[in-house]
Amino acid sequence: MLDTTYNVETPEGIDLRAQAAGPVPRVLAYAVDVFYRTLILAALGIALAFADRAGMGIWLLCSFLLEWFYPVFFEVMRGGQTPGKKAFGLMVVNDNLTPVSWGASLLRNLLRFADFLPFAYATGVISMTLSRHFQRLGDFAAGTMVVYRQAEKTATSLPEIAPLAPPRGLQLQDQQALISLAERHEALSEARQRELANLLEPITGKKDGAALDYLRSVGNWLLGK
Amino acid sequence: MNLERLAVRARLRSPWESIDLGIALARQQWWPLFLVWLLPAALLFGACYLLIPESPNLSLLLVWWLKPVFDRLPLFLASRSLFGESVSALAALRQFFAQNRRDWFAWISWRRLSPTRAFDMPVTLLEQSSGAARAARIGVLHRKHASAATWLTLTGFHLETFLLIALVALIYLFIPEQVQIDWMPLFGGDTQWFEWTVNALYLLVMAALAPFYVVSGFCLYIGRRIELEAWDIEIQFRKLRDRHQRERKHREKSKSRAPLAAQLMLLCALGIAAGAAPEVRADSVDTPQEARETIDEVLAGEDFHQLEQVSGWRLKEIDWTQSEFPEWLIALLEWLENRPRDTDQESGWGPFVGLLIEILLWLVVAGLVIYLLWRYREAIVRSLQLRKKAAPKKATPETLFGLDVRQSSLPADVCAEVLRLWRAGDQRDGLGLLYRATLSHLIEDYQFEFGDHLTESECAQLVQQRQRQSEKAPQPDAAPQSGEEARRPVSAPLSGFVHQLTASWQQLAYAHRAPETTRVETLCGQWREAFANGH
Repeated sequence: MLDTTYNVETPEGIDLRAQAAGPVPRVLAYAVDVFYRTLILAALGIALAFADRAGMGIWLLCSFLLEWFYPVFFEVMRGGQTPGKKAFGLMVVNDNLTPVSWGASLLRNLLRFADFLPFAYATGVISMTLSRHFQRLGDFAAGTMVVYRQAEKTATSLPEIAPLAPPRGLQLQDQQALISLAERHEALSEARQRELANLLEPITGKKDGAALDYLRSVGNWLLGK
Repeated sequence: MNLERLAVRARLRSPWESIDLGIALARQQWWPLFLVWLLPAALLFGACYLLIPESPNLSLLLVWWLKPVFDRLPLFLASRSLFGESVSALAALRQFFAQNRRDWFAWISWRRLSPTRAFDMPVTLLEQSSGAARAARIGVLHRKHASAATWLTLTGFHLETFLLIALVALIYLFIPEQVQIDWMPLFGGDTQWFEWTVNALYLLVMAALAPFYVVSGFCLYIGRRIELEAWDIEIQFRKLRDRHQRERKHREKSKSRAPLAAQLMLLCALGIAAGAAPEVRADSVDTPQEARETIDEVLAGEDFHQLEQVSGWRLKEIDWTQSEFPEWLIALLEWLENRPRDTDQESGWGPFVGLLIEILLWLVVAGLVIYLLWRYREAIVRSLQLRKKAAPKKATPETLFGLDVRQSSLPADVCAEVLRLWRAGDQRDGLGLLYRATLSHLIEDYQFEFGDHLTESECAQLVQQRQRQSEKAPQPDAAPQSGEEARRPVSAPLSGFVHQLTASWQQLAYAHRAPETTRVETLCGQWREAFANGH
């Protein structure tokens, strides 16, 4: 089964799991960051225009700091998210899924020059595309990766139906599927939901509307409605 | 379409995750995808080289324009392999014209510049729909994924350009310094071989990127379909059903063989018990004294006396208060302060630039207003609309916990009947009547939605919850919440009464402990105060 999921098992035996983020959202996130940086530099340039040569010097210093430490600052201080990454729901983490540390963040950002070669991050993009967990060279060196930050689940409306206890012998995935069916009752077409409910006819002993109502009741029960 | 043979995990994905999945899928079988894209395109490009050798850029434009034609074979391959069917590159190439039959003209004319090309192509190629059916289908598919599909195309386009430049730059980096090249005629467009070479490189870059672009768009499409048609649920339900049927078969089989199986089980159990006698690992120790000695021995051993040297950089504590402002900063500020201001006359550009900035600022304000209107459009529309009609009243339950809670089943004077039954020694019926009369009134007069899924205590908790809510909002009658039916608030005494009654009823019904007669009388009195006044 092909998937982009990245799994880590902690020493305590807990499975952590995250979705590795691929080149397309990362390129776009980088573009957003470049846009913000350009805005800041333009504003600085206008503000420092009055102090001609000194202003130029300060501006150059600032552009140096922005280029190399803007990502480091945000990655370490703001939960692994530069503004661009935040816009796309991405975050940088160590490859054991702990928050990224100063050393790792510095290293992965200093090595951007390697990823940049020969032009416009070509090496980085190719490395990201070809590596299993979408890592560029800097990521490999620093032992980091970029994953999707799990969005908080917004409350979905559940079907208006009284809960019922589920039949015995449901495994975790079965329960999750039932919950998903209840949560998506508005998104899926009614006919399709009945079709799905009919699949379980040998277990529920019901058909069509009755089967769907029953499965929805069970879903409500599992969600503790 | 057999979902059980799906080669990727079916789960709900964000559009970006679907694109990532496409990258992973294309990476897995990049060579065949690359070849089936490149060979037809290279053939066309080669033909152009022979036919119109004087216009290399036109040839490249032609190949570039015909991209949708070449995209179909990788898509065909990817769609087959997604469902576990492997098609060789050669077999796919034979299908070139067959795959391009449907809507080929639309794709190379008005749809050529569509930003969602990779996402829409599967509708033509795999669903075989065109015309109005296609438009409706695209509308549904686009509702959530159109923006990601557009960004995918934009990113692909830019990456193509950047990678070409990078490739040329890489070649340039490997030219030795000693080699003198006259660059001017090359970039002036006078040497055709150079342009043909660069264009051929561009063709290679296009072919290398095409699998990723096409398969990403395809996975975006698949992700949308998983979401729309709940493939994940279907696959899981099928698994559950199969498991259930297997188990049932197994049970039926084992029922007929039960005696034999029992014997076997017994034998196995005996075997395990005999073989798995616990092994004594540590030397047995008799007295605490001996144990203490052993502990001391172990503590004195090598394992507890290992030294490790750790070196690293640490921050020293430095007294920062000594110099608050460095000298140079003060000097800089003084210099800035005393700098002669240039007060020359206004240049002719001043007013123009000012006007430009003013216009820009106004545009920003207008944009902000439009954005805010758009952002809160739903709230605005909702506030303009009249309140919705009241939702149809729900069917009230007839029985709860096996008790009849219809109003019609109650006697005219509940309390008198309760006390009569109680004194006659029929305690269960008496208190039960009081309890169901309470539930019945709560449902009818206070619109509580009690159902079979609730326990007695949960009903009591619901009553208490409503009482707390009505305490928080002091005038619920004056301002009923919009969209929600104005529900009658519950007073504190009523809530307390329901609580006590529920406790008494649970004691009697489940523990068979009858409350004292005075308590029942008090409850009856409270019931009258709560419900009987209105009737």
